[in-house]
Amino acid sequence: MAGTVTSAGAAGASTGEARYRRIYVWQRPIRLFHWVNALAITALFSTGLYIASPVLTSTGEPYDNFVMGRVRQIHFVAAFVFAIAFMWRIYWFWFGNTYARSGFPYVWRLAWWKDLFRQAFDYLRLDFGHIHLGHNALAGLSYTIFIIALGWAQMFTGFAMYSESNPGGFFDGLVGWVLPLLGGSFRTHMWHHLFAWIFATFAIVHIYIVILDGRQYRNGLISSMIMGRKFVRVDDEDESG
Amino acid sequence: MSECPPSRPTTYDVLTQHGVSRRDFIKFCTVTAAALGLEPTMAGKIAHALQTKPRIPVLWLHGLECTCCSESFIRSSHPLVGDVVLNMISLDYDDTLQAAAGHQVEEIRKQIIKDYPGEYILAVEGNAPTKDGGVYCTIAGEAFTDILLETAEHAKYVVAWGSCASNGCVQAAHPNPTGAVPVKELIHDKPIVNVPGCPPIAEVMTGLLTHLLTFDRLPELDREGRPKVFYGQRIHDKCYRRSFFDAGQFVEEWDDAGARKGWCLYKMGCRGPTTYNSCSTFKWNDGVSFPIGSGHGCIGCSEANFWDNGPFYERLSAVPIPGVESTPEQVGKVLAIAAGGAAAAHAVSVAIKKAKDGKDADSKGDAGAAQA
Ligand code: HEM
Ligand code: HEM
Ligand code: SF4
Repeated sequence: MAGTVTSAGAAGASTGEARYRRIYVWQRPIRLFHWVNALAITALFSTGLYIASPVLTSTGEPYDNFVMGRVRQIHFVAAFVFAIAFMWRIYWFWFGNTYARSGFPYVWRLAWWKDLFRQAFDYLRLDFGHIHLGHNALAGLSYTIFIIALGWAQMFTGFAMYSESNPGGFFDGLVGWVLPLLGGSFRTHMWHHLFAWIFATFAIVHIYIVILDGRQYRNGLISSMIMGRKFVRVDDEDESG
Repeated sequence: MSECPPSRPTTYDVLTQHGVSRRDFIKFCTVTAAALGLEPTMAGKIAHALQTKPRIPVLWLHGLECTCCSESFIRSSHPLVGDVVLNMISLDYDDTLQAAAGHQVEEIRKQIIKDYPGEYILAVEGNAPTKDGGVYCTIAGEAFTDILLETAEHAKYVVAWGSCASNGCVQAAHPNPTGAVPVKELIHDKPIVNVPGCPPIAEVMTGLLTHLLTFDRLPELDREGRPKVFYGQRIHDKCYRRSFFDAGQFVEEWDDAGARKGWCLYKMGCRGPTTYNSCSTFKWNDGVSFPIGSGHGCIGCSEANFWDNGPFYERLSAVPIPGVESTPEQVGKVLAIAAGGAAAAHAVSVAIKKAKDGKDADSKGDAGAAQA
């Protein structure tokens, strides 16, 4: 675990003389985080939209039904899962392998900026000349903005609204101040709702990009998030890590 | 009970002069103790205070407002409560209610400030327009902003009645042409109680005054300076339609079957889930009803910015970004569709490029592209 790169020997590629190596990139905690996070956000987004606009109507007496109550309950359970996974990922930023820190906006490092622009222009020019083992700068920036920053925003507004059902309780003390700061409970709902859509927007772009990159580099990008290893052609080893 | 009669009459003195019986007086004390969420034994303490403490002078100013707070106040549900409270405080200045008029009135105000510095309560109904030197609200030729600051200087407590004084209300709604600001933005060095609502519930108003008189301190306030006992919970938390909310049974049209069955008004824009007030507990007009009880959603009148959070009959309003008129849903869908469109366009361009480059352009050893 402590080592940064675990080379798993050479594996012959199917075509011609190209030779690939398998490199251990995503450690188990990262992969676990990824899928827990993706599932939690999917659950939060869909239950959140239901909370905002409950379309199913149950019939009969209210004591026989608990539709809205249940959906809110799922939202809150997923919210705690999201928050715990989130904190776990932050911990792993420091204690994971070097790829756990890859792509992070090291704005004070010129190399990061160079990589950012290079990656952005590569996508725009439909040119894919540049290979990374960890996240590239653009990917890292997107996770920082759309998962870390937005995640904090969503947790602050979410737990503030959550605290309202127990005034004076733990969460009220922790984040209750967010409500007046944003101009009241109602506006907090509106922000939370807007942020939810930004997650959805991120997810669309993110999934497109990983499919695109995976096909382009043939490096097993998507399976790397499941199995942990990426394929790298022996003759173009990653230069930035 | 008449140990050392104070120089000024007590509330009890005034009440008995007005023919209130001892029995009614004790009833009032008990009701008020209950309304304030105090233990029953506190009723005795309230009675004692009202019998021994001199009445507190109150200066009740009216700024930019509609007088609904006063209307609510003088209609305190229990006639006795209204009576007691009107007599309890010594309402020395209230240009709406008092008999005197003109310069006489302004003299009284100045006299009270001089005679009882640090003892009187300043009650403010309405708020102060600050633009253009405060010309949009003047009383006896003086800007209300100046009157407010002058009167606040020696006040013991400041009570901000209603949403105007607490949050700004309609006159401070966008675009706020007169620059109206709530009391808390003008007065910083006095204890202020905010009693929002348009208007606040009468029992809340009388309860607060009784508390100030009995204990001679502010009740416990929340982050926004509202008495916790009245504003500690949302309408939604105590709403009798809450079981329909949890069940997922919502009114969809004003005249549908759900409306007749009294289902939850959430989808009709009810602001109960985001509004802190006592309506679902105390109700209005002697406990007759409250908006939701009458089949109309809450409009959130005791919340900051409630006018700007409209339309009242929509669940979602505009995102709180200046200049944006769309709901989070509309903005979000545009973002998501734009992202999807961009991804699709990019995918098509990639495919076109691949097709153009043909099999020979295998620049990055992407030999498998054709098979995918
Ligand atoms: C990716 C994360 C999340 C997404 C996409 C999301 C989405 C949503 C949406 C769309 C709503 C409806 C907003 C409205 O129209 O009023 C909502 C409501 C809510 N969310 Fe989240 N949410 C997320 C995270 C959280 C978290 C971390 C919490 C913390 C407990 C939370 C707590 C709440 C609460 C309390 C409500 C209001 C429920 C109600 O009014 O009954 N959410 N969420
Ligand atoms: C089927 C859907 C998905 C697939 C195949 C997928 C795949 C991947 C892959 C391959 C990576 C690594 C990319 C890189 O090197 O930059 C990644 C990273 C990431 N993805 Fe996804 N993803 C999916 C859905 C989601 C969703 C829905 C979210 C959240 C909204 C998400 C959030 C993330 C985050 C935060 C990372 C960075 C991981 C880290 O460094 O901890 N993913 N994903
Ligand atoms: S009617 Fe309004 S306050 Fe009552 S349960 Fe429904 S949403 Fe909540």
